[in-house]
Amino acid sequence: MQMRLPGLLAIATILVGCAGTGGSIPVVDSGRPVSNEDITYSPGAQAPVQQQAERRTDGAVVVMVPDQAGGSQPIQSYPVDVQPQGGGGFSSPGTSTGAGGGSSLQQDEQLDGPVLALLTAARDQEGRGDLGGASSSLERAMRIAPREPQVFYRLAQVRLAQGDAAQAEQMAQRGLSYAGGRPTLQAGLWELIARAREQQGNAAGAAEARQRARVTS
Amino acid sequence: MAKKRGSVRKKGLWHGWSGLFLKLGLVGLVLLAGLTIYLDAVVQEKFTGKRWAVPAKVFARPLELFAGQNLSRDDFLTELSALGYRKADSAKQPGQISVNGSRVDVYTRGFQFFEGTEPAQLLRVQFQGDQVASLGGAGDPVMGRLEPLLIGGIYPAHNEDRILIRLEQTPPFLVEALVAVEDRDYFQHFGVSPRGIARAMYANVRAGGVVQGGSTLTQQLVKNFYLNSDRNLIRKGTEAIMAVLLEAHFSKEEILEAYLNEVFLGQDGRRAVHGFGLASQYYFSQPLHELQLHQVALLVGMVKGPSLFNPRRHPERAKARRDLVIGMLAEQGMVDQEQADKAMAMPLDVSARGSMADTSYPAFMDLVKRQLREDYRDEDLTSEGLRIFTSFDPLMQKKAEQAVQSTVKRLTRADAPSPLESAMVVTSAQGGEILALVGGSDPRFQGFNRALDASRPIGSLVKPAIYLTALERPQEYALTTLVEDAPIALQAEPGQTWTPQNYDRESHGWVPLHQALSRSYNQAAVRLGVDLGVPSVLETVRRMGVDHDWPAFPSMLLGSGSMTPMQVTDMYQTLATGGFNTPLRAIRNVLTTEGDPLRRYPFEVEQRFDSASIFLLQQAMTRVMSEGTGRSAYNKINSNVRLAGKTGTTNDLRDSWFAGFSDDLLAVAWIGRDDNSNTGLTGASGALQVWSEFMAQAHPRSLNGAPVQGVVMAWVDAETGMGSDPSCEGSIQMPYRAGYQPLPGPGCNPVLSEEGLKDGANRVMDTIRGWLQ
Repeated sequence: MQMRLPGLLAIATILVGCAGTGGSIPVVDSGRPVSNEDITYSPGAQAPVQQQAERRTDGAVVVMVPDQAGGSQPIQSYPVDVQPQGGGGFSSPGTSTGAGGGSSLQQDEQLDGPVLALLTAARDQEGRGDLGGASSSLERAMRIAPREPQVFYRLAQVRLAQGDAAQAEQMAQRGLSYAGGRPTLQAGLWELIARAREQQGNAAGAAEARQRARVTS
Repeated sequence: MAKKRGSVRKKGLWHGWSGLFLKLGLVGLVLLAGLTIYLDAVVQEKFTGKRWAVPAKVFARPLELFAGQNLSRDDFLTELSALGYRKADSAKQPGQISVNGSRVDVYTRGFQFFEGTEPAQLLRVQFQGDQVASLGGAGDPVMGRLEPLLIGGIYPAHNEDRILIRLEQTPPFLVEALVAVEDRDYFQHFGVSPRGIARAMYANVRAGGVVQGGSTLTQQLVKNFYLNSDRNLIRKGTEAIMAVLLEAHFSKEEILEAYLNEVFLGQDGRRAVHGFGLASQYYFSQPLHELQLHQVALLVGMVKGPSLFNPRRHPERAKARRDLVIGMLAEQGMVDQEQADKAMAMPLDVSARGSMADTSYPAFMDLVKRQLREDYRDEDLTSEGLRIFTSFDPLMQKKAEQAVQSTVKRLTRADAPSPLESAMVVTSAQGGEILALVGGSDPRFQGFNRALDASRPIGSLVKPAIYLTALERPQEYALTTLVEDAPIALQAEPGQTWTPQNYDRESHGWVPLHQALSRSYNQAAVRLGVDLGVPSVLETVRRMGVDHDWPAFPSMLLGSGSMTPMQVTDMYQTLATGGFNTPLRAIRNVLTTEGDPLRRYPFEVEQRFDSASIFLLQQAMTRVMSEGTGRSAYNKINSNVRLAGKTGTTNDLRDSWFAGFSDDLLAVAWIGRDDNSNTGLTGASGALQVWSEFMAQAHPRSLNGAPVQGVVMAWVDAETGMGSDPSCEGSIQMPYRAGYQPLPGPGCNPVLSEEGLKDGANRVMDTIRGWLQ
């Protein structure tokens, strides 16, 4: 067999030219690595967006903005020193405000640490239109603080933006069950319930929720 | 002489047949050309398409790190070790840790998650007690995550598994060592190596047997990648042609990368370990690029015979082979002698079998597969390299397994006719995520998954549904409402009279509703359930999350209906979350092999009960633990931790159940026998022991006792439930539905004690007597 090899090789080499695709290397690396190392990058690599979000943001607070008109505003869950991105295109017209300045905060409405970092990350993801990512970040926050109604408030908002009004209403209800003694937040949650019910075609239910939003705020 | 004659004869033949030979030769050439064209198509087709079917990989939850996290230092180190983090004097690069008392510095590896990329970073984690006290690092991180532990893959019955790597991800010396050992001329030859063959022949002749092969890396790749394992000349020829063709079309680097991913490096049960990426995880639990010289040399040495040089089975042989490889590297000047000596002095460093890094979780994987099969085809799961992210918590699993195994061992009687079996489900109480799943008393056994498939009568575990049905009628029932625990005879099924008994064979008369539940009085539960209506109670079970087809017989009130441990978990989850039913989830999301988001399994809830009724029921269930049938749990668990739960025992002590929760954890435990015979165990003496053993290790967070909206506290007489006053003896504070609390009773002025009253009365009498006298 080894005797015949040189001849075979010569023929093969000639034939490669006929049968080949002309020199270019048609390798499509569709079997891309699934390994951990594939997505690991070295310490010096570019920091991702989330890394910034997870840095301590001193003096950052989550602000509850009461609406003078008697309704309610979404909770602005961003640190005050960070500009919100494009008003967070998800919220319905007229509910987005700026950095909602000097509203007084109750002690328990201030979030810090990981939950704040995750709510901030979720808002950034939502701003980029990545609702699935935002949802994942909020669920991560929920695992850390399972009784924090502001997390449910944001989850309800994202579900609403995802077009899942039924779940939005349920998330807001769940938030309400943890929002005892926090009237402004309760009003915000009722307002979300009203919007969710409207989207489900339940006008009477929406009106009732609006009523409760007014009573609690 | 013979030689000469032969050559003469040959010459003659040549003269006579030369024309025919020429023709035959031409025909041969044409055939060969056809074969080559065909082989060329084969070579290109397979190499350019998707080269390998990669099974889906299933990951545990990533461990979160933040100040205040419930995590002990030892658990943290267990997880780090399972992930293959190595101790160093100081953590300078990903994969390293340094431990200094209660502080652990970890250089995380970074990972691609559904919601974003976790960077590799140095985190300084300070522990205090069983908590993370603080987190430090560059830029003051508030949180960080480790990469998730790989807990399994989804393979067909017999399959190759691999973790694909790219050439630039290989550690130093891997390519050098491979070329040095397997194919010295790799970067010079054109697919086959005449020099290599000559060298091998020389070596073999000198040794008087086959000690060295002449196959190039390219030929080895062709053999494994395109051909079957037949050994004959035709196949050898085909192999050579294809090797040359491969080299003609593709670069040395591409061929080498394919080789690194293709090579067979071990057998793990029915799973074949292919490629250096998976081999690195399989033998060292580390990503390939972190491997050091001595580890690289071990893997390269194994190419020659993965089972012969298996470091777990033949450590000495494997070490000799490893040192030989290191020696070849030194000989060829790739490493200096000092490096070589240092590497040879290293231990094999292979991760231990049976450690968390190398354990199978058949019960949980079974659940994951069942959930995935609802959304994916089998061939996608076994070939597309999907990345499945689950809620599985290996630390919780370890504690659950230990609780099951140690308790079953302790409770097993030597004369038992059949083995004691057990199952356990642990979930996050608020989120409904499955954290741990034990399918039997041997958690490694892949077979009957009792957590999902053993449907057994639930006994008294059904009772919370009765009391919840009552508490939803606040105008009729409160926790202090007196219910009658007295003998009762009922038409159970047509023609049969049923007279339920209490476990202690006694009746307790009129008792407060909460006490009837906490002491698990059967007669009180049946009387109450009949008053409420059996169908109403069964509907409550449905609303709690378990669809059943139980007939509305009164015996259902004592749990003659069957459920699996998983269904019980579903039912109690609704109580733990304050009345919101959450579909139990094991999978969080799925990424494609490229790391792109594919699918999410979002958190969903549905409110089924008002939170006030659930709060009241939880109060009664905490009394089960503090003064009722579950109180022995506090022999193991710190009594400051508020817990809620319920025992369950079935007829003839066949099934022993316990279901209960803290603020953060819900666990359901079952003990019984597969042949359904007597265990001699009640809920308290069996399953509760497993449950409390687990909870004692899991450091549960205390339940929050603060009343929810719609609940008010009122002072009542403990025995009668009548409105009272804090000043009265025997008065206790109880929660009520707002608007249904009893009116405060008259105060019992502590100054006017009975003696005082008597004194006063005597004085008055004395005065009157004085007047009269």
